[in-house]
Amino acid sequence: MDDSRAAATLTRPQILVKGATKSFSGRVVVDVEELLLGERPIEGLIGPNGAGKTTLMRMIMHSTPLDGGTIEFVQTGEHGNSVVVLSDLPTHRMAGLGVVKSNQVIMDFNKLTIWDSLLLASSEAKFEQPHRIFSERSVYRRHEGEIRAWLDFFPFADPTGFAQSAGEKKLLDIVRCLLLKPRFLLLDEPAAGLPNELTAKVMEAIKFLSDEGTTVVIVEHDLSLIWNICERVHFMAEGQVLLQGEPDEIRKHSTVIEKYLGKGHVAG
Amino acid sequence: MNLDWLDAFLLQGVFRVVMVLGLALLLHLQMGLARIANFGVVGFWGLGAYAFAVLFVKVDWSLGEPWPFLISMAFGAAVAGLAGLLVGWLIADLETEGVLVGTLGFATSVWILAITEQELTGGALGMGGLKFPFDIGKTKANELLWFGILFAVVALIFFYVFRVHRSPYGRLLIAVGENEPLAGSLGKPAFRTKLWLFAVGSAGMGLLGAIHGVMAHLLIPESIGINVTLAAMVGLVLGGMARVWGAVIGVILAVGLFDVVVQSYLPLPRSWYTQTIPVLREMVFGATLIAVLIIKPQGILGAMRRDKLTRRMHGG
Repeated sequence: MDDSRAAATLTRPQILVKGATKSFSGRVVVDVEELLLGERPIEGLIGPNGAGKTTLMRMIMHSTPLDGGTIEFVQTGEHGNSVVVLSDLPTHRMAGLGVVKSNQVIMDFNKLTIWDSLLLASSEAKFEQPHRIFSERSVYRRHEGEIRAWLDFFPFADPTGFAQSAGEKKLLDIVRCLLLKPRFLLLDEPAAGLPNELTAKVMEAIKFLSDEGTTVVIVEHDLSLIWNICERVHFMAEGQVLLQGEPDEIRKHSTVIEKYLGKGHVAG
Repeated sequence: MNLDWLDAFLLQGVFRVVMVLGLALLLHLQMGLARIANFGVVGFWGLGAYAFAVLFVKVDWSLGEPWPFLISMAFGAAVAGLAGLLVGWLIADLETEGVLVGTLGFATSVWILAITEQELTGGALGMGGLKFPFDIGKTKANELLWFGILFAVVALIFFYVFRVHRSPYGRLLIAVGENEPLAGSLGKPAFRTKLWLFAVGSAGMGLLGAIHGVMAHLLIPESIGINVTLAAMVGLVLGGMARVWGAVIGVILAVGLFDVVVQSYLPLPRSWYTQTIPVLREMVFGATLIAVLIIKPQGILGAMRRDKLTRRMHGG
């Protein structure tokens, strides 16, 4: 058990952010000199509003272009490291590499049902070509099992219909990410808009994924969640990563208390 | 075969209805599913017609029938498909307004080329020499057979579109049309998807154009005007842009009503046919489009119902 754990840690992919900067109309939003994500299986990224957490996540996915710097995806294999520069890739190539992010704001395909959405996420590109007009059955057969497993785990009112509430849409976004079989999963405020019992289930799913060898990074304002699940926490403020360390170190650090938590937090 | 019962004018009208239906079905994939408003339908249609005609008429074929005809047909479709690839590449990243202007501009370019490239197209005088690849007797019989072939092609297009709705490809088109960044984050290449959609759709439009050329015997620049695009678009929007049957119902209602019922059965003065009716038609179509968009923007059949389809395909 311990040996396999160690092996899994070795092959866990990491993301290296080097000198990444981004400004919006002259205001520097992100200026990260160097940041290594994925030293531990589940890491947290916290900081006050406007610290640049979401922008940094979007820069990693290359859905926000960088002003400067690079972002690298590092995989350790038998034959040494393989490095892919994410900031050179178009957005749609990320999922193929296994780099996947859930969305902070609600994103959905309004005309697609929940089943549609999940089959879309699962389907291989070769079945989605213009001439493959009879491939629905193959796609359904290949992925029915895993989709049903997630639908059993997460309660949707009617999976053959549309996602109704904001909560369902948020959950659907996360399940889509899980079906992409991520190797590096970024979660942008996964608990926002979800009831507590669902948040707990999401975290259970994430732990499962992490045990299978996926690296997880969570951005979250619900700090109890961060302290509970993360083994390493990065603290961001004013576009920079100011501190990194174990949850206990970070929550007691004077800078974090001053800039984010406020006095009196530690006691609680 | 005695075909006295068949009115030649009526046959022309029905032929036009089925032709526009084919175009509307292809447009449905682009506009109804992937949300790309292609206002250049007639450009691909006309390019297919002229490419077919030029190869068929201008080349001194040494091959026996029916090869020159079939090769020219394929050539017409291929040229239109390549143009679709090029136009698709230009507009894939543009907003709706850019797509509108770009495709409209393409259709206008084709029209102008048809006028100015007199060596190839015969200019404003038109290009003759097109004939049916068979001869089974009277003109009417030949026309009826050719109509049957068009009907079969459009039925195939309908079947294709129907299947696309029930395939992962259709789901991809809807996803790209609805939320491109989200589709991208799921690993779906929006740009490539649109490019192929345009290439395939345009090739189909080009083939229909070539079929039109054969029926008309003579290609003139006036026949590839905006009214063809307008007819397909009005039909599609009237019936329901997002529905397969929307194109069918809308085109039969709009084009069928006007081109068949009004022109064949209403006692209109003969002198109206050349000048007044085409103008009236465009006015009525334009007014219909505006009225539908105000009163029932989703069209007669309404919005897409993926929930019903999902239940039918994968159980409740």
